[in-house]
Amino acid sequence: MGSHGGLFYRYQDLAPQLVPLDYTSCPDVKVPYELIGSMPELKDNPFRQRIAQVFSDDGDGHMTLDNFLDMFSVMSEMAPRDLKAYYAFKIYDFNDDGYICAWDLEQTVTKLTRGELSAEEVSLVCEKVLGEADGDHDGRLSLEDFQNMILRAPDFLSTFHIRI
Amino acid sequence: MLCAALPLLWLPLAGAAATEEPTREPGSPGEPPPGLALFRWQWHEVEAPYLVALWILVASLAKIVFHLSRKVTSLVPESCLLILLGLVLGGIVLAVAKKAEYQLEPGTFFLFLLPPIVLDSGYFMPSRLFFDNLGAILTYAVVGTLWNAFTTGAALWGLQQAGLVAPRVQASLLDFLLFGSLISAVDPVAVLAVFEEVHVNDTLFIIVFGESLLNDAVTVVLYKVCNSFVEMGSANVQATDYLKGVASLFVVSLGGAAVGLVFAFLLALTTRFTKRVRIIEPLLVFLLAYAAYLTAEMASLSAILAVTMCGLGCKKYVEANISHKSRTAVKYTMKTLASCAETVIFMLLGISAVDSSKWAWDSGLVLGTLFFILFFRALGVVLQTWVLNQFRLVPLDKIDQVVMSYGGLRGAVAFALVILLDKTKVPAKDYFVATTIVVVFFTVIVQGLTIKPLVKWLKVKRSEHHKPTLNQELHEHTFDHILAAVEDVVGHHGYHYWRDRWEQFDKKYLSQLLMRRSAYRIRDQIWDVYYRLNIRDAISFVDQGGHILSSTGLTLPSMPSRNSMAETSVTNLLRESGSGACLDLQVIDTVRSGRDREDAVMHHLLCGGLYKPRRRVVCLNQDPNKAHILHLYKASCSRHFISEDAQERQDKEVFQQNMKRRLESFKSTKHNICFTKSKPRPRKTSRKKKDGLANTEATNGKPPRNLSVQDTAAVILTVESEEEEESDSSETEKEDDEGIIFVARATSEVLQEVKVSGSLEVCPSPRIIPPSPTCAEKELPWKSGQGDLAVYVSSETTKIVPVDMQTGWNQSISSLESLASPPCTQAPTVTRLPPCPLAAEEPQHPFNLPYDPRPSFAFPPSLAKAGRSRSESSADIPQQQELQPLMGYEDRTHLSPGTANSHWCIQFNKGSRL
Repeated sequence: MGSHGGLFYRYQDLAPQLVPLDYTSCPDVKVPYELIGSMPELKDNPFRQRIAQVFSDDGDGHMTLDNFLDMFSVMSEMAPRDLKAYYAFKIYDFNDDGYICAWDLEQTVTKLTRGELSAEEVSLVCEKVLGEADGDHDGRLSLEDFQNMILRAPDFLSTFHIRI
Repeated sequence: MLCAALPLLWLPLAGAAATEEPTREPGSPGEPPPGLALFRWQWHEVEAPYLVALWILVASLAKIVFHLSRKVTSLVPESCLLILLGLVLGGIVLAVAKKAEYQLEPGTFFLFLLPPIVLDSGYFMPSRLFFDNLGAILTYAVVGTLWNAFTTGAALWGLQQAGLVAPRVQASLLDFLLFGSLISAVDPVAVLAVFEEVHVNDTLFIIVFGESLLNDAVTVVLYKVCNSFVEMGSANVQATDYLKGVASLFVVSLGGAAVGLVFAFLLALTTRFTKRVRIIEPLLVFLLAYAAYLTAEMASLSAILAVTMCGLGCKKYVEANISHKSRTAVKYTMKTLASCAETVIFMLLGISAVDSSKWAWDSGLVLGTLFFILFFRALGVVLQTWVLNQFRLVPLDKIDQVVMSYGGLRGAVAFALVILLDKTKVPAKDYFVATTIVVVFFTVIVQGLTIKPLVKWLKVKRSEHHKPTLNQELHEHTFDHILAAVEDVVGHHGYHYWRDRWEQFDKKYLSQLLMRRSAYRIRDQIWDVYYRLNIRDAISFVDQGGHILSSTGLTLPSMPSRNSMAETSVTNLLRESGSGACLDLQVIDTVRSGRDREDAVMHHLLCGGLYKPRRRVVCLNQDPNKAHILHLYKASCSRHFISEDAQERQDKEVFQQNMKRRLESFKSTKHNICFTKSKPRPRKTSRKKKDGLANTEATNGKPPRNLSVQDTAAVILTVESEEEEESDSSETEKEDDEGIIFVARATSEVLQEVKVSGSLEVCPSPRIIPPSPTCAEKELPWKSGQGDLAVYVSSETTKIVPVDMQTGWNQSISSLESLASPPCTQAPTVTRLPPCPLAAEEPQHPFNLPYDPRPSFAFPPSLAKAGRSRSESSADIPQQQELQPLMGYEDRTHLSPGTANSHWCIQFNKGSRL
């Protein structure tokens, strides 16, 4: 990540009034989620809040510079697949219980379909998703299930990164 | 046979036949007979179309012959065989006619033979893959082609300067550049023909193939520019002409793409309004795409690019708009035309090569060209890949590069272009023709033959046909969103950003405008995949059944018939259910059509208020479907749960006894198989369950006949509404398209319809359900939870019973024999339907027992129990459940009076025995 400097300025850009240019003077500053989530580009992204939550320290969506950089480290090409899978898993795990349960999946599906499916259809889809990936038949996906499933599909994680 | 037909064959390509004098003309073109002729030979009037038809026929017959031997076609690409056949035919023609005829005419090639191939490839291009690799494709197509053309041309010129090319080849640098421009382009037809058989991984394929399609613009421009330079004479070329040349590259490529997109837009918009004239939908697709091609050709833009973009752009909307039958029609017609054109192209290429009058051989030129195109292709690929890999998310490795270099096949485009050269302006044309022929033959035959072993040897990642899963779909979408979000946060406008933007735009405006409202409303990819998976499961199931079949070692009709059987039966089953699904074992691209939703209202009415509108009804629409899936599952369950011993005995006792009858009526077997899902479903099921429970005592393993009869009526009801719209729009297709059509109108009609089904029973191949559990079957995920199931496939055609019920079987066999057809073939299947279509999807859920409601084959309750001895713990549950839906459906039939009619069922069965 040779562009850390650039990333910092971007971070600073998100909240110029909060983040001083001389970052070292107050390293604990956070960019509140409201600022991130209200970016016009992100307005339609169903996962904006979830991403901010996953990468923020205490799950509130407020991001420090470290969080911000973490996000890009995970998304960089150099990040190992397991790490990517772990963070993808965390993004899915809406209730942070360490498992992707039916409820988590329903959140995902609802977000993805932008509420176009009825609750019933969503639950059908979720059941199917669970059934496909649930290796130990406990009705929810552990991290292991998730990794197995995601590694099975060939170019899945290898495209799960961005270049900055 | 081919030889016999030859003298008749006049290839009227590009009007050439009209000018050429036929050598052996059957018929008398002389003065007309004085009186009324009893017999007139009018060869001239039919000559042109007749010859076209005959040539295509010859090519198709040749294809059949090639595929008689699996061994040959697995080793030798079809394109090679066709070229060789063309050589032979050309030789014969030459010998017979004393001059070479029927050659590949550039006019015919560009106007008629090329468009279908390009349309096919553009339309069926995996768009996501294509756009994911667009950067690489464009680089190879533009930079690579320019590089190839200039380096090859310059190197050949250098060769000539070095004196390695005979001095009789009179060519300037410009001539060589012109030659380089036409010989350098990778040919889509050749690439497609060879790579389709090689099955390299998708990325590699799309890069090579995409390149071959998109480089057309570059080739056209280069060729035209060089050609006009040559015609102008190099002395007259001015600096502005070079600039114009560069500018024309953009005009031709972007213009071609724009024409294609405009026509794609028109096409999508037109199909939006074809609801009442479904029959012309496929025609529209072909006409507008062809119009795009001709328009681009007319404006001397890149026609290939135009058609590619047209196909690529319109597919999404067109597929959503047109009916599923139209979709199938489009698909098969397109494939047929493309394959036909390809066949003819390769054959004519072979024939054209025989014409020695066009040739002039120069070894230096030929060998030099061969070497240079291979060398510079490889060099170009390596250099470009190195640059591209700096930017690519997934770099292309060395093996990919080898395949890409080696896969740069030249083909008919180069040949057609070289034939188009003007001999007066390009004195070395004959040499170029010979060289082109050699290059084309070398790349298609030698490289085509060796690329498969090479790919194997290099262990190139093959394309994996892993099953598409819902997870995959889900995660793909999620990852896209996540990546787009991260790019947004970082303020980096990368690929994901733009794709996200495009998708927003598409959703907000384009789809709204171009898709039928109903189609738009229901379009949701995740649900779509979910739906498709259900159908796929059903198909794989039938397929599996086939494997089990073959593993039993019974004397059965050959495997192919098994395939066709699986296809027909599933297709028919699904059609019958009116699911809007049309199946093909290879490619299951059934997409839920708009019709489903459009029929919702009809459903709603017919089902007597049992269902909620819209979404809810979609589930119901799928119910019949699901029913078949369920019963397919169940078919396997039953097979599965027969013990090994039983299998042996049944092989002898049962199968041998009843083979003949099974052959004739496997269809009814399928209807007999019934299935329930043991997991209690929420909502609607619960009511049914109560009814069922209440009824269990009374029926006790012998469901009253009239109940099932009414079930059938209910089933018909469910199925019927789907057909309604079809009958509106495409009545003509109906008769031959549908296997069985259930119509809930009047008795007479039912009878009539049933006759159709009767004919279906004499299905091409028998369906035998042997009781052997194979390894594969054991491993099936949905098997995991059903250890508690016993077997009750007791349709008269299969006669499979658990071994411990053998006595019961023997007792009832006579009564069975007397029953030609079960009283209610369809009913159990569908009645066991859980209201939610999920059932088939849940492997973990124990499957319920199939139970045959026919009194003639009712086991004594004790026996039935014994049959389930292996699973006593759960023995009761299935039993009660297999009965419960009957009541539920009875309710339903009451709700829809006038349709629930036992009379029908009897007639239906009568009919099915026909």
